Parts: sequence; structure tokens; C-alpha cells
Amino acid sequence: MVAGHFGLAAGVKARQPAVPLWALMLATQWLDVVFVPLFIAKIETIEVIGGGKPGYGNGIIHADYTHSLVGALVLALVFALPAGLRWGRRAALVLGAVVFSHWLIDLVVHRHDMPLLPGAPAGTPLLGFGLWRWPVLTAAAELALVLWGGLSYLRAAVGVARAHDPTKLRRARAAGATVIIAGLVTLALNAVGL
Amino acid sequence: MSFILGLILFVVVAGIIDGKLPWPRPGAASRRKEPGTW
Repeated sequence: MVAGHFGLAAGVKARQPAVPLWALMLATQWLDVVFVPLFIAKIETIEVIGGGKPGYGNGIIHADYTHSLVGALVLALVFALPAGLRWGRRAALVLGAVVFSHWLIDLVVHRHDMPLLPGAPAGTPLLGFGLWRWPVLTAAAELALVLWGGLSYLRAAVGVARAHDPTKLRRARAAGATVIIAGLVTLALNAVGL
Repeated sequence: MSFILGLILFVVVAGIIDGKLPWPRPGAASRRKEPGTW
């Protein structure tokens, strides 16, 4: 899941307008951002189900550090601490929660590949409700998140422009449209396996 | 590809456009507080 995480962050921005959008967007993907170098180093891997080509939700993801419960909490803390120094406690709490929301959403879609502890020690359970077994349902859930978040963000952006600087109304609409279109494009590419 | 493109579109493009909107500034409320008030 990619676009759904962005959709959630856009919805959070509508309710926590003081937190910068770019920081929310980075926070919502922070686990996957840290996953990339570990994947390149082959410390974390993706096993394609059936051994075919990688596609939408057809992988067992061995992200045993970044996507473990404890690992996600540590990464949320790592993200929130500097944010707190820069923007204050409230922003830190919001951004930490958004980082951890990635783990919660992934828990719904992943197929029993998310450990509790970093490194997935033997004998500890692997979690994941496996919504990815039904790709159409998963894509529909992602689409719902993208539309809810994008429309919430658009409404909030237009509202703040109208209230404080009506000359920025066009920019507010452009920002909202960008978020919605970016979400749809990202979802479409992900759904076709790109 | 969708992940990298998403990061570029959301963090960079949307972030730049959004940054020019008159949102409240983070931490501004707490900085405006008078000493001794909650």
C-alpha cells in the first residue's frame, strides 16, 4: 500500500493544519523510506508469491526491522523527536502518530509477515490480516482513503485561504487538486505493479 | 516506482504548493501564551 498512507496524511493535515504537509507525507511513509536502503542492502526483502513478477499486494515482505511493532515505535520516536524540537510537542505527537499509522494500516493488508520484535526472533508471532489476498478490496480501501484525505485537505485549504488570504484561493484549489490527482496516479501505478 | 513518484509528488510538489498557503504556524499558539497561563 502506497497511496492509502498518503491519503491518511492529507486527512490529518485537514485536522492539524499547523503541521506542515510535507512532514506529514514524509512521516506517513517513514517506515518504507527506511526500508529502501535495507532492501538495497538485502537486509529486508520481498518474496513474490508464486515466484512470478512483483504485483499489487502479491508479496511476503520480510521487513523484519522497519515493520516490526517495536521497530515502528522506535522509528516514530526517531521522527518525532527532531520535529518536536523544531515545531513543538503537539506537532511531534501528531507526526509520531502518523509514522505509527503506517504500521497499523500495513497490519490490515500484510499477509502474516509483520513481527512484534525487530529481526523476527524464532518463536515470536508474525502478524497481518491479509487484506491483500483480495486486491480489489484493498484497492477500494486505498481509493477511499485517497478520496477522503484529498477532499478533506481540499476543503481545509480552501477554508484557510478564504479566511486569511482570499488571493490564495486559486493556490489552495491547486494544492487540493494536486493531492487528489497525485493519490490517484500513485494508486493506479501501484495497482498495475509499478 | 509508485513509491518514489508518490514521495516526489506529495512531499515535494504538494509540500511546496501547500507551504505558500496561510496555515497557522506550528508551535505559534504555545509561543503566544503569556507567562503563567495554560
